Amino acid sequence: MSVKPKLALVSLALALAACAAPPPAAQPAAPAQSPARPFVISAIPDQDPERLNRLYGKLSDYLKAELGVEVVYRPVTDYAAVVNAFRTGDVDMAWFGGLTGVQARLQVDGAQAILQRDIDEKFRSVFIANVSTGIQPFEDISGLQALKGRTFTFGSESSTSGRLMPQFFMRQAGLSLSDLRGEPGFSGSHDKTIKLVEAGSYEVGALNEQVWEARIKGGEVDTSKVIVIWRTPPYYDYHWVVRPDVEQKFGAGFIERIKRAFMALDATNPAHKEILDLFGAQKFIETKNENYADIEAIGREIGKIK
Amino acid sequence: MSVPSAAQRALPLPEAFSPWRSLLRGARLVALLTLLAVAWAATQTGVFRGDLINAGGWALVQQFFAAALRPELSPAFLRLTLESTLVTFAYAVCGLALSLVIGLAGGVLSSEVWWLVHQRPFVARPGSPWLIARGALALPRAIHEVLWGLFLVRILGLDPLVAILALGIPFGAITAKVFSEILDETPRDALRALLNSGAPPGHALLYGLLPRALPNLLSYTFYRLECAIRSATVLGVIGAGGLGYQVLLSLQSLRYGEMWTLIAALVLLSGITDWLSARVRQVLGAPARLEVNLAPGCEAQAAQLTRATPSSRGLLALLGLAVLVVPLALVYLQPDFGRLVSPRTQALLGQMLAEMFPPDLSGDQIARLLQLSLQTLAMSIVAMAIAGLFGLALAHPAARRERGPRWPYWLTRGGLLVLRAVPAPVWALLFLFVMFPGPLPGALALAVHNLGILGRLIAEAVENVDQRPTRALQHAGAPPLHAFFYSTLPMTIPQSLAYIFYRWEICARETVIVGFVGAGGLGRLLTEQLSSFDYPGLSATLIALFGLTFVVDMLSTVARRPLR
Amino acid sequence: MPEPVFELKGVTVRYGAFAALSKVSLRIEAGERVALIGPSGAGKSTLLSLLNGSLAPTEGEVRLLGQDPTRLSTRALRRLQRQIGTVYQQFHLVPNLSVIHNVNAGHLGRWSLLQAVVSLIVPLERSRAARALAEVGIADKLYARTDTLSGGQQQRVAIARVLVQDPVAILADEPISSVDPERSREIMTLLRELCDRFDKTLVVSLHAIEYAYSHCERMIGLRAGQVVFDLPAAQVSPQMVEALYRIRDVDV
Repeated sequence: MSVKPKLALVSLALALAACAAPPPAAQPAAPAQSPARPFVISAIPDQDPERLNRLYGKLSDYLKAELGVEVVYRPVTDYAAVVNAFRTGDVDMAWFGGLTGVQARLQVDGAQAILQRDIDEKFRSVFIANVSTGIQPFEDISGLQALKGRTFTFGSESSTSGRLMPQFFMRQAGLSLSDLRGEPGFSGSHDKTIKLVEAGSYEVGALNEQVWEARIKGGEVDTSKVIVIWRTPPYYDYHWVVRPDVEQKFGAGFIERIKRAFMALDATNPAHKEILDLFGAQKFIETKNENYADIEAIGREIGKIK
Repeated sequence: MSVPSAAQRALPLPEAFSPWRSLLRGARLVALLTLLAVAWAATQTGVFRGDLINAGGWALVQQFFAAALRPELSPAFLRLTLESTLVTFAYAVCGLALSLVIGLAGGVLSSEVWWLVHQRPFVARPGSPWLIARGALALPRAIHEVLWGLFLVRILGLDPLVAILALGIPFGAITAKVFSEILDETPRDALRALLNSGAPPGHALLYGLLPRALPNLLSYTFYRLECAIRSATVLGVIGAGGLGYQVLLSLQSLRYGEMWTLIAALVLLSGITDWLSARVRQVLGAPARLEVNLAPGCEAQAAQLTRATPSSRGLLALLGLAVLVVPLALVYLQPDFGRLVSPRTQALLGQMLAEMFPPDLSGDQIARLLQLSLQTLAMSIVAMAIAGLFGLALAHPAARRERGPRWPYWLTRGGLLVLRAVPAPVWALLFLFVMFPGPLPGALALAVHNLGILGRLIAEAVENVDQRPTRALQHAGAPPLHAFFYSTLPMTIPQSLAYIFYRWEICARETVIVGFVGAGGLGRLLTEQLSSFDYPGLSATLIALFGLTFVVDMLSTVARRPLR
Repeated sequence: MPEPVFELKGVTVRYGAFAALSKVSLRIEAGERVALIGPSGAGKSTLLSLLNGSLAPTEGEVRLLGQDPTRLSTRALRRLQRQIGTVYQQFHLVPNLSVIHNVNAGHLGRWSLLQAVVSLIVPLERSRAARALAEVGIADKLYARTDTLSGGQQQRVAIARVLVQDPVAILADEPISSVDPERSREIMTLLRELCDRFDKTLVVSLHAIEYAYSHCERMIGLRAGQVVFDLPAAQVSPQMVEALYRIRDVDV
């Protein structure tokens, strides 16, 4: 008895799917993927959760209009959790840091790095210090020796700009983590690193240059208490990574449409500018998996990629 | 003349009697070893090292406490707080319901009495199925809820189902163990009478044993509800949502005003649950049964002292309500049970198991695990030493008494409630403001949280102690404090110590969760491995954690034995 | 000759090295009222456990209602045990259940599990339980909580449970040791009357010898696991009883 309505539902769903977008020939019968399923995006929680909600709320609305599918932003508590949600398929596309992006691609065959911001090609970290330490800004990497005997905090364990690259440059400068006073802290996010160093909980910290600049611009940092002591050389960082199965779910060419939607963001359009400002970017550009080979090598060296 | 005096001198004097010595007889070795262990643990966690306090962080602590005066009370945030409270409560209820199903089935199957009644009547000992059932429950119990959560989320994805299972599975195994112990301790005379008159085993259990065990089973269930609320909060901290999650977010964003509002909600939720649970247990006349099996004699005595005929109508109403709450909570959370059987789940499970084997047991890794296991052990010992000491001191003012002023009771009980309502990882984050990362802030966080739990447990033990000896001393003219040292304290100390050792077992499992926020030990390593997706390393760490749990359980059992 | 209700042939029960019963042989016919007497540790309880099928002999043969319990399947053994009701010194009731449930527990051998569960919520066979309680003289206690009753009343509930069970034989293991003298007489009289009226065989172990004389027709004297005498009550002399209870003269 109950079989019939179920069958009817499935055929209705198939019919609807046929109307919405012709299913790819290779997948004639895919009843599990109903068109009602939204396109789910997420992002590593590198900043204030509230700010992230605002940013991705706006972005979801924009993408929904551009792509013609329901877009849902799924907030996640920590970096590894985003990688994991991407791996399980709960999230179709995610905004990753350099390291988490590599980790995610290594766990999902065929996942692609597709887009990044203009600034991500030449991304930097900043080392900041509480002024009471008396550490003066320096130009050469060897200046990192000044961190000896200081308390120090990274951001999240899996952060590229808040952990991986700072730790890499500290190693290059011949500074080992045991030279610090106590064990290094992991504040959890770039914003929290600023606040902890500003308050003096830690004497020195390392974070994402873009977040630092944005907070300085927003007047949220007390520069009489905390200053930048060094900027790292540039490296590739944040990027969007998309699962390979989105084309099966949302139609062939979907990845190309995503790229177009992002690259159409125009700083001269006020609505677009709001999104770009929240991202701290002028525009989005294409990227590719190969750009992150260095990050992967460093990740392996430091043990964050096995 | 000299003869009788010589005889007097020769009279053998009995060993000088001291209540303390009699108390510690048989336990002296345990006491000595405990002291040594605490001293070692304190050294290991760096209590005696110079730079403990990171003076730079006091400003943040001041800001934090100053914010208590101006909690965030905007309508939008209050609504968020209410929703989060409901989420946490719903997780606790669903998890508890699942754990009861597992607990009842597992408890019956792992009880001695179940296998005895199903064998031929002439057999005296249960056979191997009993041992298998017991053994099968040991593993899920050894893993903390949070670890279950982290594993399940990797298999089931982001879904409320994860938190429900993460809570229900380990709680189910613990409940099964305690249920089986309750069933086995329940007098069997009526059961035997029914079996001898030819009643089938199921029928006989239903009429001869279950009704008798029911008050204890129920009172333990309500005690578990308290634990479930606390665990649901901690699961929130690792991302399940609800109050724990919101507290963490506010703390990460350093918005202390919001934090205080959320803490108030936590305290309220915890307080109401604890009160309800204590009340039910009192009505059921089984207040002493918490998580630990003390000498059965003591308990029967306590039950007799407080025996009140339960008002079955009120109780029935409460149970009816409880049964109604479960479907409501399920509707509210909307877990996707389909995920349990979906092919994706099977694929992910297979994939993860494949990645976890073989565990990384290289020489380096083993050396590191050994060192971190010792550190973790030390962390748990320091935490329990502090929690136990303060717990013993605070339990007496926290015990309700018939005479004297009431304010010490309310003050200490309120304080203890706040300590246990705030989850340990949040305490750890607060300690990390002013301390260097490492095992000590973690140990302190565990100490503070467990003090809140232990203080109350011991206070209840004090309340349930036989008052007559104390009264007799007071009637004989002893001042209250003197009478306390000669009656209440020696009468309650074995049970209190047993609680402390028992809590230590739980604390050893909890070291993992403070590790997640940067306090040291195996938990810290586990976090690093989780964020590196280092599954072989992860399974090695898990093995170390099992070993640690096993050792602590064993030591605790041995230490509790002379206290019976 | 009709089949005896109970028959023991050269039965020995050993717990480790200790022989609780050695080489006991006896027959108990339908309708008999038998008293088991003897000092503590003589083997009275062990003998009763053999008779209700809850204990297997180490040696020898036990036949209950013509069947050997050790050769029966678990299920068949249970069927056999339904025909034998037992009353205990400590009542063996569930204290926090209502009287009616304790009485209804006598039905368990016949009820399906579903009936048993349902009855705990809505009691079944209420009139049958009420009648049994009336028989034992506490009709008004049907819905009382069992642990609110006095010892004598609780023993009556236990007897009512056996009445509901409706066995062929009733065994009573020191049924009056936990109640006061006045209650003892009432309970013994009740047992005797019920056995007469419903035509049950009664085997009762007793310390109070006077009731063995007044309420039973046959006495079996046990000492150190052996039958010292097995006679009609009228033929048991006070000297025989005194010898039975005298401290250590058989062993010496």
